[in-house]
Amino acid sequence: MVLKIFFPQCCNRADSGLLVGRWISGHDSAVVLAVIHYPFIPGQVKQYVQQMQAKSGVELSVLGSWSLPKEGQEGMESFLRDLSTIFPQQRWLQIHREIGKTGFTCEVLNRDQNGRVVQQETKKKSKKVEEEDGEAGGDKEEQEEEEEEEKVIFVHYEQRKVMLSQLHPIQNGVPDPKTDPPSELRQMFQTVATSQPLFFMDRYDDGPLKSTHWQSEGREASIIVELLKQASVPLCLLISWLLSIWTWICNIRIFSLYPLRWLSSKLSTCVQLSYKTEHMRTLSSAKPAAGHTQFMRKANILVSFLVDVALGMLLISWLYRDNHIAMLANTLVPAADHVAKELDELLQWLMGAPAGLKMNRALDQVLGRFFLYHIHLWISYIHLMSPFIEGILWYGGLSACLGLTFALSLLSDMVALLTFHIYCFYVYGARLYCLKIYGLSSLWRLFRGKKWNVLRQRVDSCSYDLDQLFIGTLLFTVLLFLLPTTALYYLVFTLLRLVVVLFQGVLHLSVDFINSFPLFAVGLRIFRPYRLAEGVKFRVLCEEPGTALHLLMEINPLKFSTVVQMYRTPTYSCYPKDSWAALVKKLFVGELIYPWRHKTIKTE
Amino acid sequence: MGQRRRAVTNPSSRRVSGAPADVARVPSRKHNICMVSDFFYPNMGGVESHIYQLSQCLIEKGHKVVIVTHAYGRRKGVRYLTNGLKVYYLPLQVMYNQSTATTCFHSLPLLRCVFVRERITVVHAHSSFSAMGHDALFHAKTMGLNTVFTDHSLFGFADVSSVLTNKLLTVSLCDTNHIVCVSYTSKENTVLRAALDPKIVSVIPNAVDPTDFTPDPSQRLDDRITIVVISRLVYRKGIDLLGGIIPELCLKHPDLHFLIGGEGPKRIVLEEVREKYQLHDRVRLLGALEHKDVRGVLVQGHIFLNTSLTEAFCMAIVEGASCGLQVVSTRVGGIPEVLPNDLITLCEPTVRSLCAGLEAVIAQHRSGSVPSPASVHARVRSLYTWRNVAERTEKVYDRVSGEEVLPLDRRLRRLRAYCGPVAGTIFALFAVLDFLLLLFLQWLVPDRVMDVAMDATGPHGLWRPGPSSKVSGTKRAAEKDSSS
Amino acid sequence: MEDEAFTDINGKAISLDCQSHSGLCREFTVSSPKVSVGKVMVYTCCVWLLAYTVFFFTENTAVLSSAILITLLGMMLHIHFVKVDHESLLVIGSLGIQVSSSYASGRETTKFIEMSKIKDIVINEAIYMHQIIYYLCVLLKDPSEPDAVSSVVPLFQSSKPRLNCLVKVYKSCQEILSKC
Repeated sequence: MVLKIFFPQCCNRADSGLLVGRWISGHDSAVVLAVIHYPFIPGQVKQYVQQMQAKSGVELSVLGSWSLPKEGQEGMESFLRDLSTIFPQQRWLQIHREIGKTGFTCEVLNRDQNGRVVQQETKKKSKKVEEEDGEAGGDKEEQEEEEEEEKVIFVHYEQRKVMLSQLHPIQNGVPDPKTDPPSELRQMFQTVATSQPLFFMDRYDDGPLKSTHWQSEGREASIIVELLKQASVPLCLLISWLLSIWTWICNIRIFSLYPLRWLSSKLSTCVQLSYKTEHMRTLSSAKPAAGHTQFMRKANILVSFLVDVALGMLLISWLYRDNHIAMLANTLVPAADHVAKELDELLQWLMGAPAGLKMNRALDQVLGRFFLYHIHLWISYIHLMSPFIEGILWYGGLSACLGLTFALSLLSDMVALLTFHIYCFYVYGARLYCLKIYGLSSLWRLFRGKKWNVLRQRVDSCSYDLDQLFIGTLLFTVLLFLLPTTALYYLVFTLLRLVVVLFQGVLHLSVDFINSFPLFAVGLRIFRPYRLAEGVKFRVLCEEPGTALHLLMEINPLKFSTVVQMYRTPTYSCYPKDSWAALVKKLFVGELIYPWRHKTIKTE
Repeated sequence: MGQRRRAVTNPSSRRVSGAPADVARVPSRKHNICMVSDFFYPNMGGVESHIYQLSQCLIEKGHKVVIVTHAYGRRKGVRYLTNGLKVYYLPLQVMYNQSTATTCFHSLPLLRCVFVRERITVVHAHSSFSAMGHDALFHAKTMGLNTVFTDHSLFGFADVSSVLTNKLLTVSLCDTNHIVCVSYTSKENTVLRAALDPKIVSVIPNAVDPTDFTPDPSQRLDDRITIVVISRLVYRKGIDLLGGIIPELCLKHPDLHFLIGGEGPKRIVLEEVREKYQLHDRVRLLGALEHKDVRGVLVQGHIFLNTSLTEAFCMAIVEGASCGLQVVSTRVGGIPEVLPNDLITLCEPTVRSLCAGLEAVIAQHRSGSVPSPASVHARVRSLYTWRNVAERTEKVYDRVSGEEVLPLDRRLRRLRAYCGPVAGTIFALFAVLDFLLLLFLQWLVPDRVMDVAMDATGPHGLWRPGPSSKVSGTKRAAEKDSSS
Repeated sequence: MEDEAFTDINGKAISLDCQSHSGLCREFTVSSPKVSVGKVMVYTCCVWLLAYTVFFFTENTAVLSSAILITLLGMMLHIHFVKVDHESLLVIGSLGIQVSSSYASGRETTKFIEMSKIKDIVINEAIYMHQIIYYLCVLLKDPSEPDAVSSVVPLFQSSKPRLNCLVKVYKSCQEILSKC
């Protein structure tokens, strides 16, 4: 078997002492967490280890001894061996390093049933030559000789990074031990992460024990973070109080009446508002985030909210400078007029012989007049509205201080309202067309002597009467010859509608993007790549063949695409989207398409 | 499905296993055969099982066999079946009825790769419906390989589609060294359609595995008479006839039951009949059957009914007879050749004639004058065996491999001469283009750069049946060389 | 340490470097030929000639500058995302297998697979473009069913060595895997 020892880099040059760590059961590997230095009283060490075990929940134990003799300290061999009888363990490691030769020796003592120490006949020496690579502590070890029987692999790891990193994919809660035992590396990461209490003792403590680990030079912390932690509590309270008032207002009876409720579910501004409220509620909850996923979620929401508001402020500063609002309002009404005029011309064209097609004259005239009347209504509506538009824009612009997403949603709603006539045309056209297609398809089945069996969801054969067949065929012919006229109107208005839907879709997409992009996670990935680990990678430190292995374990950061995918805040548009083929089919049979909720048309 | 494992064995073991095989079988030459067809498992049918069984028997005789077909859904890449039968599922676009689209050219790179890396000597295409088979014949000729073609079906001469397919068949078969048909009717048909020299057409019938289809009268229920129909539910199999027979006979005989296995577009016809006449308890539709379940269905019946409208060689009736059933069938195509007259009742393909035939057999049953299942089985079991088929096919290969492959100029001349001035010229042009494409591919990836595949079967075969190799159907090449 | 002449599936020469760090740890590196200056020149010249002809007809200098930009950008993207300089496979007995590939720009992607997840290393056949090739792959265990293979990690994906090279790597991998 091969014994794997995970050894922290910070302990490379520690003074002699005891190795504290954990055996990972079932994998034949040991994780060294810290070195407790001489002098110590064994009883105190045992007590300390037990105390730590209770605090952290990790099965800590004394793994063995570590010796790095200073000048003039000799004759430790027998003493070290005796130590193993004091701390009874299945296996006892004796890792030895000499400063002069910078060697690395590992002996493994196995203990048999009776408690006698059996010197492992397999003894392995490895020598390590160290070179300093600046201050970062990137060491390079090389060994020279070994005896072949039992193999030991040293895996050097950087304790700080391993402790702070989060191995992906994340496992929440306690994994079921029977079905899926956590892998060796995951156990190792967990061990280091949960044994945090062990690292609180630093060299300035006055305790009876001295130890070396990554924080032994002093605890690591940031003043800003601590201050923010202090400040966050009253802030959260304030926000949650404001939120409770807001939800109280929202829950007033009048808002839950049918038309208002329906309207608010269709207006993207309202949807955006409820969405933001939900986010703020998540943020302001007084409980600290449980688990990594939730913490990341909160942080992402906070950062994207801040960015959103900052962008909104930029927009405001542009809008209210140089009277941009008035300019916008002055261009908007003529634009709407222009659109109406163009539509008018289009309808006149359709009522003649569009593109040389010969339509059913009577139906054509009826449809055309119907739509013309609508446009007339619309134009008068716009002119009625025109004095108020500047005011609406001015107040609407203020909403950008709630964030850019809010302003964009408002814009989307305004576009929807201003193009309501196009929507109406589209719905009339589509309904008419849909009816015709439906009638044609069922009459076609009658024509062939078949019928749709609703109960079994299949086409059955059926014998019709002569009268039925006659009427059906007659209707079929009539519908078939009227189809081109309807189809042309449908086609033209669907194209118009698609333009509007595309514009709204782009707006919704950008809103979604701002809301759901995990800025915090991406920032973390850029500035602290080790925090989000996809796995590990190993580098071989020794180059000579025939020697034991020294590996350097580095953390393999998560890919950017995975970061974005994993930490994306779920938004209200994350439904399974229709494919393009489904969209085309819907258009063909004349089903209605909407930019909201169904999200059929997206530029993706 | 996961990926297939490839057995890699060191050269020493190959030498050891190869040497005695070479010494033992001096007289007949060993061929590297490539079976090409669009139709193979997981698709079910006569052609599929023909290819599979023939390949197994050829492997037993020491030839190396690989099968090339198109990808079925997620089943693509290279797979191994029982006894190391290697199947290439090539990712070619399926056009209609599991047949690939043909452009005459786009399959060349992959097929060439297979032919080169497997060191193929004989290319054997199956079924005239298979576009891939025709492509393979065409490319094999371009690459200078000998070809054999097996025709499994009959065609008409009258309608437009038949005329077109027959012209294509003429072009495709004029270069082929040898053609195999499954019955004399089929031979006649093929010779006429493709304007072939009858000397290069042999008849090798299909076979059934008699050990798979043994009678078991205890499965029958004595209080009723069960008629079994097992076929794909498509127009060619005469399902509309079946839909006419069922109500007529069920009204006359209250103890008559139907057991129908198979799936297809005509299923709705049977369902409607069942609903219209309220026969849910007497007509059972079993849906698609796996090959291993067929026997279990057959032995439950007394009479086997086949209503095919066209059939070159009907394997289903042999299977039915082998299970000891009385067979009633339409008199079409090669069916009259298949079974001796006392084992089969032949009728015209009309509802009335089939009903009369069935009535006669039912009457025989009631009087108890039918031969016992065991005696029927004993007669059928020696009629058609796969070993026999394989031996006869082997002779075809031996003959074919001695023939020379025409060089391009003579091939072109022959195409012009056989296929008429218009089609001949067009296909001669195709042949030239194919040749140029082959030259281009040979420049792009020379033959010496392609890795020669490890032989699983054949004289140097490395296949060892592993301990878990008794799984039927698609079985994994689970063995791995762990000796090192 | 040893260098035989190996080629990839298209007949280009590649080199295989086996490094044995100890009995338990071996590293195989397959290096593809470097980006040839001639090829880069040819592509650049093609783009520029094309741009110049367009410029000749349209008299628009934006065409020329965009051609320069396109060549530069294309080259950078190519060496950063497409061109793999060498791929290496590090097999550490009882710990796992590490697959890494480094691109011509120096970017390196690494993936480490723990031994507990690995079922085996095998040589497999696959259809790749218009060819059928052999490739080496790591089979991963399905945690719920120990006998089933959940997925496959192909090795040397971009250099695609031929069978003789794969067999060599395969044999020495199996040596290490069989030890533990």
